[in-house]
Amino acid sequence: MTAETIIQSLASGLLMGLLYGLIAVGLALIFGLMDVVNFAHGEFLMIAMYATFFLFAYFALDPLLSAPLVAAALFVFGAVIYLLIVRFAVRAKANAGMVQIFSTFGLAIVMRGLAQFFFTPDYRSINHSWLGGKTVSVAGIFLPEPQLVGALVAIAAFVALYFFIHRTDFGRALEATREDAGAVALVGIDKNRVFALGWGLGGALVGLAGAIMAIFFYIYPDVGASFALIAYVTVALGGFGSVFGAFAGGILVGLVEATTALLLPPSLKSVGIYAVYLLVVFIRPRGLFGSI
Amino acid sequence: MTALLETRNITQRFSGLVANSDVSISVGRGEIVGLIGPNGAGKSTLFNLIAGVFRPTEGSIWFDGEDVTALPAAERCQRGVGRTFQVVKSFETMSVIDNVIVGALVRTTVMREARRKAYEVLEFAGLAARAHVLASDLVPAEKRRLEVARALATQPKLLLLDEVLTGLTPTEAQTGVELVRRVRDTGITVLMVEHVMEIVMPLVDRAIVLDLGKVLVQGKPADVVRDPKVITAYLGDRHAVGA
Amino acid sequence: MDKDFASRRRRELIVAAVLALLAALAPLFVKDVYVQNIMVLTLMYAALSQSWNILSGYCGQISLGHALYFGLGAYTTALMFMKFGILPWFGMLSGGVLSALIAMALGYPCFRLRGHYFVIATIVIAEIALLLFQNWDWAGAALGIDIPIRRDSWLTFQFTRSKLPYFYFALVLAAIAWFVTWWLEDSKWGYWWRAVKDNPEAAESLGVVVFNSKMGAAAVSAFLTAIGGSFYAQFVSYIDPESVMGFQFSLLMALPAVLGGIGTLWGPLLGAVILIPLTELTRSYIGGSGRGVDLIVYGSLIVAISLARPQGLVSLFSRAKKVPAR
Repeated sequence: MTAETIIQSLASGLLMGLLYGLIAVGLALIFGLMDVVNFAHGEFLMIAMYATFFLFAYFALDPLLSAPLVAAALFVFGAVIYLLIVRFAVRAKANAGMVQIFSTFGLAIVMRGLAQFFFTPDYRSINHSWLGGKTVSVAGIFLPEPQLVGALVAIAAFVALYFFIHRTDFGRALEATREDAGAVALVGIDKNRVFALGWGLGGALVGLAGAIMAIFFYIYPDVGASFALIAYVTVALGGFGSVFGAFAGGILVGLVEATTALLLPPSLKSVGIYAVYLLVVFIRPRGLFGSI
Repeated sequence: MTALLETRNITQRFSGLVANSDVSISVGRGEIVGLIGPNGAGKSTLFNLIAGVFRPTEGSIWFDGEDVTALPAAERCQRGVGRTFQVVKSFETMSVIDNVIVGALVRTTVMREARRKAYEVLEFAGLAARAHVLASDLVPAEKRRLEVARALATQPKLLLLDEVLTGLTPTEAQTGVELVRRVRDTGITVLMVEHVMEIVMPLVDRAIVLDLGKVLVQGKPADVVRDPKVITAYLGDRHAVGA
Repeated sequence: MDKDFASRRRRELIVAAVLALLAALAPLFVKDVYVQNIMVLTLMYAALSQSWNILSGYCGQISLGHALYFGLGAYTTALMFMKFGILPWFGMLSGGVLSALIAMALGYPCFRLRGHYFVIATIVIAEIALLLFQNWDWAGAALGIDIPIRRDSWLTFQFTRSKLPYFYFALVLAAIAWFVTWWLEDSKWGYWWRAVKDNPEAAESLGVVVFNSKMGAAAVSAFLTAIGGSFYAQFVSYIDPESVMGFQFSLLMALPAVLGGIGTLWGPLLGAVILIPLTELTRSYIGGSGRGVDLIVYGSLIVAISLARPQGLVSLFSRAKKVPAR
């Protein structure tokens, strides 16, 4: 193993990690807002990937161009899911935690079923996108263009999210609601509206991630499941609810995955991520940046 | 005979903040002792230290002639320390009787025996009629009594009551006062934290006043109430004196 | 009042005995192998969900990694038989004990975790085990193990000609899991578990050692789950990591209890009786084409019930009984 291979794989690990951060941040946002873990998050990613695929297949729209459209579509989807399902799940008086977990799990299963029904279980991929299969060489390190652009999009999304939360009225309403949902009702903020918009925003972020992932990943009904677990680990590593934590957690996960791939057979590459998760929570039961 | 409970030079710091500083108190067998003081005096901290929720930064706690400083809450309960919570913590999905049975199971593993004891305690606390109601369906005053009943079911030597009388209507408070007296009459020592002096003074044999984490005064209720230091400490807290 | 309680306990026992008897007679009327197969699976999932319910329902520690114990049971039995010729009955017992020990070893660090951190830890641990088994050549790696077929007998617990022996074993297993739950419900452990679930801090103040309670629940739950896994290995006679340790098993163990009523005596059984036949039937009648209709039906049912009946379907029955109990 040369120094070059190590740097090479750490670099691609970093890029992938930023993408993991982008996949996970919507989950972290929603959790921070209302203490709900969306167990259908992976399926959100899956439909975003399909949306990107079909926009490419039928309208020859490159994933880079369709990304904003997909994000917008997922925004609407996220808000609708909140209004149709989650709104009722959080009202449950008995077994609140359980209801919340299993209502979103049920949704995940339905979405997978629908994907199989309408799109068949076949594996799809986008063949001739602008970035697909291309690499760029930076100081002797080859970086795949889709991942590079994905990482840049992720960074841009995080910066935008930061300003959005801290500089806009809606962002402030979001912050206020996450701190004290009861009190904001008194000052006339409609909690449901804020939550719906939060779910929309969470959806849009994972939508963006899905559009990028579609460039270089196979698209099939179960694709969300593998990324979902990584997203939960990412969010939990960062400390549930911390948006910044999801970003840092993503990078950590990407690097750990790349390192594991160097040391262990490829089929075991996820073991590293899982082991690091356990190690972190056993030492810090609230994750790296979790405060509550 | 030694005191039932003794704290020796207890100091408790929370990341720089001193909640208790060099607190030494003792509670004799069969007494009702009131632990009072204005808001932020460190009553709750001391209370939780005695109950074993956390360990003091310095000092030691002696119960029934033994050093229990290092013992966790569950083990202190087994030794005979029962407690209630200021913010009631009923087992909400369980019935009233089942709540109390949990307490009774410290002394016996025979279910029939635990159930019998639980009914006995409910009768004593005036909750027998509500035995099969879910704890979540009780009204606040009943939940307070359930807290007491649950603790009594553990057959404690010392019962720690955390503001069980605060926030009750005068009638409810009177029932509560009588319950505490009856508890003492069964031979159980009572240490009660109260914020509002007026409620506890007629009830307690002795009062300990905490202020700014230290013992300010202790003695007979009548003397304590007249002590100028106590009056000064409570001055910023008119409500508590005059309520 | 104590008499009310005692008679309720007795009634539960009688109802269970009658149900078990009716189930035992069912094969006299049901000759169809396909239906018998569904009955075996239903009973197995009833047993598994009942075991899961002990840790997650009664004690409130939601595990979505019980596939680990299921898989350990299956693998221990299969490997001991294949490699050393040890009879499945010993394998079953070893698998159960091994799982209980591992559950306690894992519980040691995990029970400090709360809420979602705990749930995700359970998923992740089972996933690590799955990956390790997929790469463990001695244990057949990803290809799995074909359990060598000897001859039909209770000694080797193999029956190629009839499903009935499996059916009766599954029935006994479900009955044992039910009975253990019934018995523990009115014991120190049962009360401790519910107290820990509702309010650990208050439990601690009443002398409940929260950590030990969780460990006890984990051990019992893992033991019974592993017995189920061991049975499954004999039943299908071929196992591979994905088919006995995959995440879907963790979910399938949890769902009957969730649908029927989590932390209740009858919930897992009721949930399994509804869910498993439904899953199998939708799979074979509409889902056969691989078009996912089974998933849609199944998922919608989970969403609908968890929203409409958070206490589970069993609450439909108990509602009526609750009033006279006062």
